[in-house]
Amino acid sequence: MGNLIAEALSMGWMALAILAGLLVYFQVSISDPAAKKRAVFKTFIGIVSCFLLFMAIANYKTNFYGESRLLPVSLVMITVTTFIMALYFTNLSALLKIGGMMFFVAAFLSGYGNWLPQVEGGFPPVEEKVTWETMTTQQLADKGEEIIFGGVGKNKEQGAIGKGQCPLCHAFHAGMLGERAPNLLGLPTRKERLEDPKYSKGDPSKRMYSVKEAFPGSGTAETVQEYIAESHACPSCYVVEGYGVKGTNDKESPMPSIHKPPISLSLAELAAVDTWMYAREGVEPPSFDDIVKSYEKFVPEADRPKQADDKPAGATSLLADGSEPVDQIFAKAQCVSCHTIPGIPGATGTIGPKLEEGTTAPQRIKDPAYKGTAKSTTEYIMESIVDPSAYVVKPFPDKTMPAIFGQKLSAGALKKIVDYLSQVKTGAPPPKVS
Amino acid sequence: MGLLAGKRIFSIVALCMMVGLLLLPVVVALPSLAIGEETRSGDAAKKEGDKVEKGRDVYYKTEGIVSGAPAPKTTDGVKDYPRYNFESRVLLWFANQQHLYYGSFVLAVPIFCMIIEFMGVVTKDKALAKRYDQLAYDFIKISLTAYSLTAILGGILIFTFLTLYPAFFSYLSGIFRPVMHIYALMFVAESGTLYIYYYGWDKMREGFLKWIHLSMSVILNVIGTLLMFLANSWIGFMMSPAGVDEQGRYLGNIWHVIHTALWNPLNLHRILGNMAFGGGVVAAYAAYKFLASKTDEDRAHYDWMGYIAMALGVAFLIPLPFAGYWLMREVYAYRQQMGITLMGGLLAWLFIIQATMIGILFLSTNYYLWQAMGRMRGAEKYQRYIKYLVFLLACGYMVFITPHTMVMTPAELKAMGGQQHPVLGNYGVMSAKNGGINVIITTTVLSFVWYMRGNKVSTVSWAKFGNIFMGVFFGCAYFNIIFLAVYGYYIPANVRVGLSVPQVATTLSCLFFMFALNSFMMKGAKQMGPIEWGKISARSQYALIMLATAFTWMMGLMGYIRSSVRLFWHVNEIMRDNSPWAYTHTVGFAANMISANVLFFWITILFVFWLGSLTAKKVPVESKAGIPGSVPQPAPSH
Repeated sequence: MGNLIAEALSMGWMALAILAGLLVYFQVSISDPAAKKRAVFKTFIGIVSCFLLFMAIANYKTNFYGESRLLPVSLVMITVTTFIMALYFTNLSALLKIGGMMFFVAAFLSGYGNWLPQVEGGFPPVEEKVTWETMTTQQLADKGEEIIFGGVGKNKEQGAIGKGQCPLCHAFHAGMLGERAPNLLGLPTRKERLEDPKYSKGDPSKRMYSVKEAFPGSGTAETVQEYIAESHACPSCYVVEGYGVKGTNDKESPMPSIHKPPISLSLAELAAVDTWMYAREGVEPPSFDDIVKSYEKFVPEADRPKQADDKPAGATSLLADGSEPVDQIFAKAQCVSCHTIPGIPGATGTIGPKLEEGTTAPQRIKDPAYKGTAKSTTEYIMESIVDPSAYVVKPFPDKTMPAIFGQKLSAGALKKIVDYLSQVKTGAPPPKVS
Repeated sequence: MGLLAGKRIFSIVALCMMVGLLLLPVVVALPSLAIGEETRSGDAAKKEGDKVEKGRDVYYKTEGIVSGAPAPKTTDGVKDYPRYNFESRVLLWFANQQHLYYGSFVLAVPIFCMIIEFMGVVTKDKALAKRYDQLAYDFIKISLTAYSLTAILGGILIFTFLTLYPAFFSYLSGIFRPVMHIYALMFVAESGTLYIYYYGWDKMREGFLKWIHLSMSVILNVIGTLLMFLANSWIGFMMSPAGVDEQGRYLGNIWHVIHTALWNPLNLHRILGNMAFGGGVVAAYAAYKFLASKTDEDRAHYDWMGYIAMALGVAFLIPLPFAGYWLMREVYAYRQQMGITLMGGLLAWLFIIQATMIGILFLSTNYYLWQAMGRMRGAEKYQRYIKYLVFLLACGYMVFITPHTMVMTPAELKAMGGQQHPVLGNYGVMSAKNGGINVIITTTVLSFVWYMRGNKVSTVSWAKFGNIFMGVFFGCAYFNIIFLAVYGYYIPANVRVGLSVPQVATTLSCLFFMFALNSFMMKGAKQMGPIEWGKISARSQYALIMLATAFTWMMGLMGYIRSSVRLFWHVNEIMRDNSPWAYTHTVGFAANMISANVLFFWITILFVFWLGSLTAKKVPVESKAGIPGSVPQPAPSH
């Protein structure tokens, strides 16, 4: 609260000084006692309202990027301010009341948005260099599960979803109804599809679908694995009855080609996905090379995603891109080696100070030895990461912490660190890791 | 006679100038397009012997000659993403939203003017005609100041793009080069037409000249609408690109680039949205003037103005959900994943907020109408039934905002004991939601019907039968909507989806048939007393302000949703966003940002209103009796 008042005063001191000057001026210049009383009282109300207004703005400014759900309180404060002013400034009464009403509506909707569960979309997946060829079947299957569901062992979790985004439409277990796409249980043994006259095995020209072949000359699948590969590469080459795009009479599939944007799985990743599909049903999967070959039949050379090339150059040099939970960001950036951070497993370093910034940052900003420019806790934390020499905590030596983290961490990762550390307070339980 | 002939000639010249302005961009653009084609075909001929590279359109699947550079692969750095010490995306968001708010307003108001001016021209009551004319004039006056602000904000938006996202903007302007030039010329045409239309108002007040003036408003709106369509083609391209190959190379067909999968539904949705928004802003202006009025005469005028603006806004609000439904259907048809991200994935909570907002809009409208019945003698008979309407609206609203399919964390799932809440899980399904919103809209129609007949008693011989028929019709409509909502629980999902059609048809039947029947019944009706314009509670004006703020907020919200659904793509699946802000914000952050945008817009537009009131004060007292500048008495009826 003290910080907020200080921030409000530093932002609005000029306006407040003018109003205070007016107060004095009315006091000495108006001779009629009733008029003087009225003018002084109105100016006093003006000062209070002005101060409330700057408090509200300071709250918004300080917590703009934070996880604070109290931001809309600022708007409520402004509402109260405008209605108070409307009582005394009758000339502008209508304008102030309308403004107040609008702030109130905005406060309600903002508050509602902050009250709902907070879901933040992560960064685009960063491709890792994986040596697929040397993986065991189990390792490949695990990788496949991770691509489909976002982690090993997550296949039975409702809502679990990975880079492949398959569970958005498909169901994977018995009894689960896939309303948008077929249930994939039993896929490795689904030979009957190849025998379906509509599939037109061996003669794609006779197909009734919007796309006859994955690419000219690719032909049709001969084995179940090739059928799976073809369904991934060319979903509209065969559409399961009832699952086509509405209005096309099941001639076109709503599924995107998985090797193309936006999903863009590489052939190796697709092989891992297929391996999991076999392994989870206890069916011996074809070898990695065989699966990749089945895809090569339906995906032309030019269309195959190249893993290393597609990786955004900006992300390569980053220690953390912000998509990770905050404890992983601390670990990846090696903060844990030097600092003790309450609530972060393994963060017991003693080379740097213990990070309880929720308590220590406001004290340090007030320290006469502080030469930085931060005015709030969040600004101070950001400054200490980007420019560690702005304030060196005693008795730790200067220049120990590298000044590279501003470049080596993404904006999202920095934001997560700042959010977390600003909530760590001495003697209080550590905040939740998200 | 000579003066009249002079005026006629002046009007015809002005109209011809407008048509000329309308055609100017096309005339100017044609040679440049032809030159472009010539160069292209010349180049093609030159290269005939050489290798001509062809590409396949990502959407239309047609082949075309590659005529542009591929979409740049950006990297996070000063070259592609120069920045201040602030999130560039937020700055762009702010600039874009403000431009859109003002743009929507200045495009919507001339459509209102056209409708109101037309009503004034065709109405037989001379006094009423004058009042309509004055109202249309007041509307256009408000939009004139906003017009220059729109242009300034457009400039700021372009500079923000150029300075913060140069690689992206260079790619987009490379593809839309001719469209952007035509857009700029159309803007010139729009400005010219608007000024002629506004300043010619006095000179073309009567008879044949008035018709010419009315034709000008049609041309003005045609230009404005085309302008918006062109701007929509850019966002349509960003969401559902076409006319380029997989690498983002332009294939020479500009129509394909403009006419993307989502262009048409976006166009329709935006026209309706702009109109509803414009109605809200003008209603808020009227509410402000009403609350600030010192005389009964002023209060009466602005009460009437607020009512007309609200009625027009709501008239476009009612079909808006159906246009939204079409847009969503097209989104699903284009990319199912995109639809799921919107309605059942990352952005689903935002749709819960949207449902809340739609409910607020309809509740505010109903509240305003109930309050408005207070200014009519004879409407008391309906007051005692309002509590039942409140009950229906509250029930519909609660069902409508109940969430159903949400992405949840494992901890949340565990706490709830499954994907669905044990009790509430039964209520949020689409079938019930459709029932909820249709009950809300039907109740709003009923409120309107009561309002329209508030101070009247039907004198037609079949009045009793008409009333019974109307009651039975509404009763059956409610029964049908609620029955289908419940029936939806007992049938498979793919069949259930189809139930929305009879539900919507029921609501629309109420809207059209009951309004028509009511008009027939009230023809020559006995009036219990005139509508006492100005004698409405101040609370009703706050309902109008609520309506306006909620429209503005919803526009910000839907714009954010539409933009966020691209996730980490500048141009979906073609040009990837590699900036540090390629993630989607939390719902809370988005809500705070939308509020900031809404409040900035309203603070500035209230300032514009205040400026307008300053000029109004300067009108000499003598001119009070004439038009424009005077405050006429509003219409004796609706």
